[in-house]
Amino acid sequence: MSEVKFEQVSKIYPDGTRAVNVLDLEVEDGEFMVLVGPSGCGKSTALRMVAGLEEISEGVLRIGDRVVNHVASKDRDIAMVFQSYALYPHLSVYENIAFGLRVQKVPKDEVDKRVTEAAKILGLEEFLKRKPRALSGGQRQRVAMGRAIVRKPSAFLMDEPLSNLDAKLRVQMRSEIGRLQRDLDTTTIYVTHDQVEAMTMGDRVAVMRKGELQQVATPQDLYDQPVNLFVGGFIGSPAMNMLEATLERHNGGFAAVLGDQRLSLGEHVVSEHPGLQRYDGKKVILGIRPEDLEDSEVAQGRAEDECLRGEVKLREALGSEIMVHFAVNARPALTDDVRELAKDVGEEITDDGESNAVLVGRFEPRSKVREGDTVPVAVDTRSLHFFDPETGAGIYDQANLAKGTRST
Amino acid sequence: MEAPPGGPSPWRKHGVTFGFLLPAVVFLTAWVIYPAIKTFYRSLYSDRGDEFVWFDNYTALFSDERVVTAMKNNAIWVAVVPAGVTALGLVFAVLTERVRWAVAFKFAVFMPLAISLFAVGVIWRIMYEKDPDSGVVNALIASGRDAVKEPGVLPTAKPSSEAVTGTPKGGIRLEETVEPGGTAFIGLTAIPPRDMPESAKQAVEPEAREGGITGVVWRDFKPGGGTPGEVETEELGIPRVTVELRSSAGGKIAEAKTEDDGTFVFEGVEGGQYEVVVGSATFANPFGGVSWLGEKLITPALLIAYLWASAGFAMVVIGAGLAAISRDVLEAARTDGATEWQVFRRVTIPLLAPVLTVVFVTQIIGVLKVFDIVLSLAPEASRDNATVIALEMWEKSFAGQNRFGFGSAISMFLFALFIPFLILNIRRFRAENG
Repeated sequence: MSEVKFEQVSKIYPDGTRAVNVLDLEVEDGEFMVLVGPSGCGKSTALRMVAGLEEISEGVLRIGDRVVNHVASKDRDIAMVFQSYALYPHLSVYENIAFGLRVQKVPKDEVDKRVTEAAKILGLEEFLKRKPRALSGGQRQRVAMGRAIVRKPSAFLMDEPLSNLDAKLRVQMRSEIGRLQRDLDTTTIYVTHDQVEAMTMGDRVAVMRKGELQQVATPQDLYDQPVNLFVGGFIGSPAMNMLEATLERHNGGFAAVLGDQRLSLGEHVVSEHPGLQRYDGKKVILGIRPEDLEDSEVAQGRAEDECLRGEVKLREALGSEIMVHFAVNARPALTDDVRELAKDVGEEITDDGESNAVLVGRFEPRSKVREGDTVPVAVDTRSLHFFDPETGAGIYDQANLAKGTRST
Repeated sequence: MEAPPGGPSPWRKHGVTFGFLLPAVVFLTAWVIYPAIKTFYRSLYSDRGDEFVWFDNYTALFSDERVVTAMKNNAIWVAVVPAGVTALGLVFAVLTERVRWAVAFKFAVFMPLAISLFAVGVIWRIMYEKDPDSGVVNALIASGRDAVKEPGVLPTAKPSSEAVTGTPKGGIRLEETVEPGGTAFIGLTAIPPRDMPESAKQAVEPEAREGGITGVVWRDFKPGGGTPGEVETEELGIPRVTVELRSSAGGKIAEAKTEDDGTFVFEGVEGGQYEVVVGSATFANPFGGVSWLGEKLITPALLIAYLWASAGFAMVVIGAGLAAISRDVLEAARTDGATEWQVFRRVTIPLLAPVLTVVFVTQIIGVLKVFDIVLSLAPEASRDNATVIALEMWEKSFAGQNRFGFGSAISMFLFALFIPFLILNIRRFRAENG
């Protein structure tokens, strides 16, 4: 058991590309740390540097008290689970799990004891004699896990271990891995591009972008206080709605002007975001989580200036809730962060000067809105997010503006 | 299989099948099946073809000395080449994954594959020449040997006067013993000018030295005469000769090397009588070359040439197999704590096993029918020792002996040897497709 510490670690490829740029990150002993970010953000490279599969160009990497920059993979006392599982196709499940012990010349009966134990934990007992190709995806995943836990390493490294599984199995394995990690209490670094996995599994989550660490926090803090637009937009599904707004003084507080509409921000907003004082009369980017939008018919008693009027474009009823896509007369936020986030989900945003932003709201199933209706939508102003349109940094208080924020 | 209703008529369907089969059937029948049957038929007849002799030709195979040698040689080929080629190919394939200039290296190893085996034989026959001056293999050995052990400078030298006696083998020595303060004149003759080291200078008479023995080794020959035993002008000292000082009992006490002017010195010699000897190493014959093409070494020489020609094929096939191994699996083994050797031994090799088998079996088949390289590499004189089954078949039938019945029997014998490997290959194809 030991902590893993990145100190100013960089990975620079021969062509000068910085896959990981000056990463500072401390994973505590026994902690489940999730590295998350869009593809190409350097999270896998960071993990592979811990595994010893990728050379460290700059900085110092410690596992426990040891500097491991030049320690061979085999001597790092880590176990890695690969996205492809990387099972040895020529060996049985038993021998796959036993491999790490065999190469370290562990006595036979000890090997047998530990393999049997691992197989029991993972429910693989009846498959021990099979070859990997005779197993289902979920079973292969378990073998890969078994291979890791049987060695009792000081850290688990998992590189998108669930992304080759179907959705249902993924949910199941997610909780299993979580449980296993808690039982074994082993330091774990888990790489994923799936923010749901990150939120549900991690003790803490580190969000990366283009090789740079954006924010490290508990899932809830990450959700409530994204340090910048990128984190705000990346964490949460459906994603946070982002609009351009101009701040104005209004009744002792502020109001956000969105196109021809005006959203009143009560005093509590300003007291929670003192930094907003500096944006009087200036543009900000307003972030609204879908669950903070509600059909005003359902959320009764909202003042009109706490609502945005919009035309319902699409209504997706999911039973427990309704996803309502509606267009409001306001400019969508178009920064590099937003574009990159869109690109990660396969969309291309073009700035056609259009001033109709489409927002997604998570409405109660009682809502009666129909496609084509123009309805007032209540906004829960208590949990709005504000970002600087130039830097993308979250606006909290004066200090928060700088804390944890990295140049983007 | 029934044709589905509405499909093409059975006749048409079979017509298409036959149409596609026809060219292969015609060519295989004309050039493989008919000759094979005819050869078997012919092998049951006498050499002239006029007498049916049952299996006499086959029993005769085992009493023909050359055919038996050929069988033994083929066994050696099968034992050495497939394993050797596979191992070499594996080593090269793994190396080329790691070295710089991998493309150039691969090209160099692969190139022999573009040369016909007959030409390979011709090339190596020249390289194997016995004389180090013409055969590059022996030249390499000679230079390697010279680096370790300096060759003798004077392989032909003889004493020039009666003051000097002995033979090159036991060493040439002064007839009379010398005591400290004395001088030794060792004149040698019968040294061809081209054998004289270039650095040699005019010989100098040694000056006596108290408590030491001095002397000179020189070429005691002056064109147009001169006095033996005397150092005269135009007579050269012999450099780098090892001179030994021996006690009168014969034990070696000291050793000295001569300078460019032929002089040498032993310092601090205790009183007594000593022999001064030029050691036998000075007269050693130069390396004459290994007789690669001789009776004893011809088969190993052939094997080496064949390995050289075939390693490239194995390297390319195994290299492709290596490239197909998932990098993840190798990395998994490393993070599992395996050393590089364990990764290679426990993961790479097992995953390569199918490819290695292909190379191995291909080589067995190639080696069983080896012919041209033996014909072109082995000189007439050692062909008796180098012969292989295919070569015997050709010699007995076509190289002037016209023993067609016997030759056919050799062919059938060789064919029988192939059968197990053909079955193996066919099984493998089926397994891969099934």
